[in-house]
Amino acid sequence: MNKPVDNRLLAEDESAHARWQREFRAGVAEAREIANVSGIPIAPLYTAADRPAGGDDALGYPGQPDYTRGIYATMHRGRTWTQRQLVGLGTPADYNERLLGILARGATAVSLIPCNSVYRGLDADSVDLELLGTCGTVVDNADHMARCLEGVDLAEVSCAMNDPSPFTLLAFMLIAAERRGIDWSRISGTSNQSDYLSHYVANHMFYRLALPGARRVLMDHIAWCRAHVPRWNPMSVVGQHMQQAGATPAEAMAFTLSSAVQNAEDCIARGMDPDQFLPRFTFFFDVSLSFFEEIAKFRAGRRIWARLARERLGARDEKSWRFKFHAQTSGVDLTRQQPLNNVARVTAQAMAGIFGGLQSLHTDAYDEVYATPSEAGARIAIATQNILREEAHLTDVIDPLGGSYYVEALTDAMEEKILAIMKTVDDAGGMYKAVEAGLVQRMIGASAMRFQQRVESGEQVVVGVNKYRADDDAERPPVERPDRERMQRHRDDFVRAQAERSPTAVAKALDELSRAAESDDRNVFAAVVDGARAGLSNEEICTRLRRDFGDGRPLVIV
Amino acid sequence: MNDDSPERDFRPRVLVTKIGLDGHDRGSRIVAAACRDAGMEVIYTPPWQSIPAVVKLALEEDVDVVGISSLATDHLIVPKLMSALREAGLGDVRVIVGGIVPDQEEKALIESGVREVFHPGSTMEQITTRIRAYAGEARRARGEAERQT
Amino acid sequence: MSTTAQPAAIRPSAAGLAERAAAGDRHALARLLSAIDDDAPGARDAAAGLAERAGRAWVVGITGVPGSGKSTLVDALLGAWLAEGRTIAVVAIDPSSPISGGAVLGDRIRMSANAADPRVFIRSFSARGELGGLSRAARAAVDCFDACGFERVIVETVGTGQSETSIVALADTRVVVCPPGLGDDVQAIKAGTLEIADVLVVSKGDLPLAAQTARELRDMLMLRPRPKGEWRPQAVVVSALDGSGVHDLLAALDAHREAMGVGRRRASPAIARQRTPEAASTVLDAEGWRGRIAALAARDGLCATLGIVVRAGGPGRAEVAMTVDARHLNFNGGCHGGAIFALADSAFGLASNSHGPVAAGIDAHITFQAAVRAGDTLVARATEVHRNRRIGVYRIDVVREEESAGETAISSFTGTVYVKD
Repeated sequence: MNKPVDNRLLAEDESAHARWQREFRAGVAEAREIANVSGIPIAPLYTAADRPAGGDDALGYPGQPDYTRGIYATMHRGRTWTQRQLVGLGTPADYNERLLGILARGATAVSLIPCNSVYRGLDADSVDLELLGTCGTVVDNADHMARCLEGVDLAEVSCAMNDPSPFTLLAFMLIAAERRGIDWSRISGTSNQSDYLSHYVANHMFYRLALPGARRVLMDHIAWCRAHVPRWNPMSVVGQHMQQAGATPAEAMAFTLSSAVQNAEDCIARGMDPDQFLPRFTFFFDVSLSFFEEIAKFRAGRRIWARLARERLGARDEKSWRFKFHAQTSGVDLTRQQPLNNVARVTAQAMAGIFGGLQSLHTDAYDEVYATPSEAGARIAIATQNILREEAHLTDVIDPLGGSYYVEALTDAMEEKILAIMKTVDDAGGMYKAVEAGLVQRMIGASAMRFQQRVESGEQVVVGVNKYRADDDAERPPVERPDRERMQRHRDDFVRAQAERSPTAVAKALDELSRAAESDDRNVFAAVVDGARAGLSNEEICTRLRRDFGDGRPLVIV
Repeated sequence: MNDDSPERDFRPRVLVTKIGLDGHDRGSRIVAAACRDAGMEVIYTPPWQSIPAVVKLALEEDVDVVGISSLATDHLIVPKLMSALREAGLGDVRVIVGGIVPDQEEKALIESGVREVFHPGSTMEQITTRIRAYAGEARRARGEAERQT
Repeated sequence: MSTTAQPAAIRPSAAGLAERAAAGDRHALARLLSAIDDDAPGARDAAAGLAERAGRAWVVGITGVPGSGKSTLVDALLGAWLAEGRTIAVVAIDPSSPISGGAVLGDRIRMSANAADPRVFIRSFSARGELGGLSRAARAAVDCFDACGFERVIVETVGTGQSETSIVALADTRVVVCPPGLGDDVQAIKAGTLEIADVLVVSKGDLPLAAQTARELRDMLMLRPRPKGEWRPQAVVVSALDGSGVHDLLAALDAHREAMGVGRRRASPAIARQRTPEAASTVLDAEGWRGRIAALAARDGLCATLGIVVRAGGPGRAEVAMTVDARHLNFNGGCHGGAIFALADSAFGLASNSHGPVAAGIDAHITFQAAVRAGDTLVARATEVHRNRRIGVYRIDVVREEESAGETAISSFTGTVYVKD
């Protein structure tokens, strides 16, 4: 019962709620409307009145549809999340050294980030020496990959290859495994960021092939992996690019789910049964400092995906309904000013992801914002995960925030918002068409602009940047760059090895690629793997396929 | 010949572009929009422009200022761009860099001729004001050079 | 409009720039274009001087709504012409912000490898809020490129209604690009677009709707009455994705170029006079005069907008016609007086400029004697009452053609021009 709140005496039938309202209003200096990044208004208090009738029953249990509380019955209590730190720098030898160190310190899986040159489909000898290996590892062929993964038991350790179409890194890895006598059926991991649509949207990397070609090669990739590397996840649908480009959390989830639907529908159109490929669909998200919003985002996403898989895509197997995701702490939240503050930021972001029910986590190093992580930064990043697990005991209870009035209300609100945005995409004809037309890019650009304005106006505080500034941001250690001489030697070795191959074998392998590209009955990724075995380099493969499928063209939208 | 023209409407022509390997363009798009809203004419390109392409563009469009957005390590080849611009007779064009530049590498950029490096936290107002000032510098420098030919 | 303190523009030696540009100095050409854009002192004269050397380039204007695929088409043309060994200039025009006056000059064309070819020169202009979407500077740029030896000049504008007709004055061959599947909207673009298009391109030809859209356009073109001998616009389907149709497009462009002979831009008396002073006094027959007057009218945006066509002409004489339709009506459902005025004034302008020297109207007066409705065909005939070196006086009668082969007097118009030069 709400009564006028003008009397200072507790009226006999003033409810507890009314009393709280009265005292709150009296105590708060000014009534301020607060909304989260996705635009959802946030109240100062949530109570049982914010729960729908029977809401708790509908919430369900972890491991049961629609998985709001988690996709597995055991979650982190049973098996902790995978600590999958991105590693990428310098030469393959540099990578291997850093990787083994990280694995020794608690990382439980491999994630390889190649140099931007690799993303762009350029080999070491096609790029300025200064740029090589500064943002990732230079891996141009199967030999390089073998060196990267020396000492890693590929039959036991899950490997994520960060690789857009045509997925040469996986091909190199498979050949490296083959040479070691490891059966492909034992290999597990993910073609991380295999989602060509998100690359196209966010210009995150050079999407090497034109849209239709990228679509075709992804389908081939999914089909081939199912047959030859059954424990591999060929589809990684990406929300991280878009959120880093400025999408709100709701937009990022909505666009990602729309992408997943598009990719799934493409697979179905290709004749695949949803239960054959959906269990190997994974998702890759940003997790930002908007703490509760992120938790709600993931819980809502799980719920929506379960329904989509079942009702829209027609999957019958529960394995197809489970929303498996890897999260990376958001890089754009980090600051160059007073960089040590980033350790606190990453900790909060990681916690949000953990409470959100992720399966796999990468924590940024504090210096990630201005360089590839230093040794020290990388160590702290992995230690952060260990501390949250072992000292804060965040794995002890499954979905500890479940039932929270706020978190459940916010999950519902995020679900509604996400569905509304997905409808906009549907109305545009689906994610492929929406991306092609630039609709998604425009929406993200608008959100990015709004965020910039909030920061510049001071409405969004960034500690150390627009508030709490200090002149002592000489905490920034000097940036480590790859050793130029070592890189030069690596480049020279590569050029020499290229020259030593049989030209006829190279030409034959390239022709096979073209033949596969021309024919709808053949599998392009199979030809990529064969090409990797024949010693083709990343640039050779990409260039040939770009010639056959056409170049990807960025949409310029300001 | 003296400068005897009255003050008139002056629209800076600014090229906003990215060279090198990285594709993240969230920031450069925002800067381009801010320059437009500040009344400038902005030539905006997608990322991954080669240095010769940038030089050709700067020449044909007769830009006053070139703004390079660099979030990864592509600033490392900006000195090459500076040389190429000078070789093409575009030494009067002002070049600025915005994005992530480690402290110890900023000095090298300035020494190669870059006028200013804008770090994260710079506001759009600051950036557009400085660009306008640099555009004025560029026009004056060009005018001087032309008077001497 | 930007009003912050700015440095006074330094006067470049515009004449010097023009000389160097004509000699092949690309940088000087770019600087000259800027001087023209800024209206720096001496720039207009320098540009006019260069324009005297213009007349060899083939200017192709390309317009179409945003998203219709113009830049992909431009890229295809670049590729084709480069393969022929041509030098090509591209004038790319974008709208400017009405609030700030600034513009983002979208760079879609520059993405292609063709843009990097040294035989290609691309220059962007913002519309600067000018009516018709085309700045004075852009027009001058076309003449400069022409004079500096570029064999082909492409003018690409964003067609948003008014600015479609703005390329009329500028191009020898006018291309309008339509995305497929417009359906009923094809009717909507008809009014302005089909009036001016020499070649209609349906883009994204790989989409299933493309062929149908082309059919619809061709049907509409067939319905349009055209005098014998006049160019019949062609519709071509082009797909950038598989490269199909580019060959057809080139063939259509070449066909238009051949049919037009000298080309409407180059036939304008202004350029003809500059090239060969004798051209103005060449003796022409009736058909020749009609063509010459028509060439003038072809540069006129308002004529295209209102559907005013030239029927006949002579020295000091012009006859034009217009059929009244929805776009000419006022709020009472009758023909807008301004439309009748425009018709009479067109005859006036054409007649007074027929001799060659530019004549500018300084006084005009009209009477309206009878009501005019939609469907009426009006004819305006201009005769020269008086002409000396500086002044010309003209009388224009406007009549309505009756079905019974008679004419009803509609308006009387008198006008005076001042002759320049």
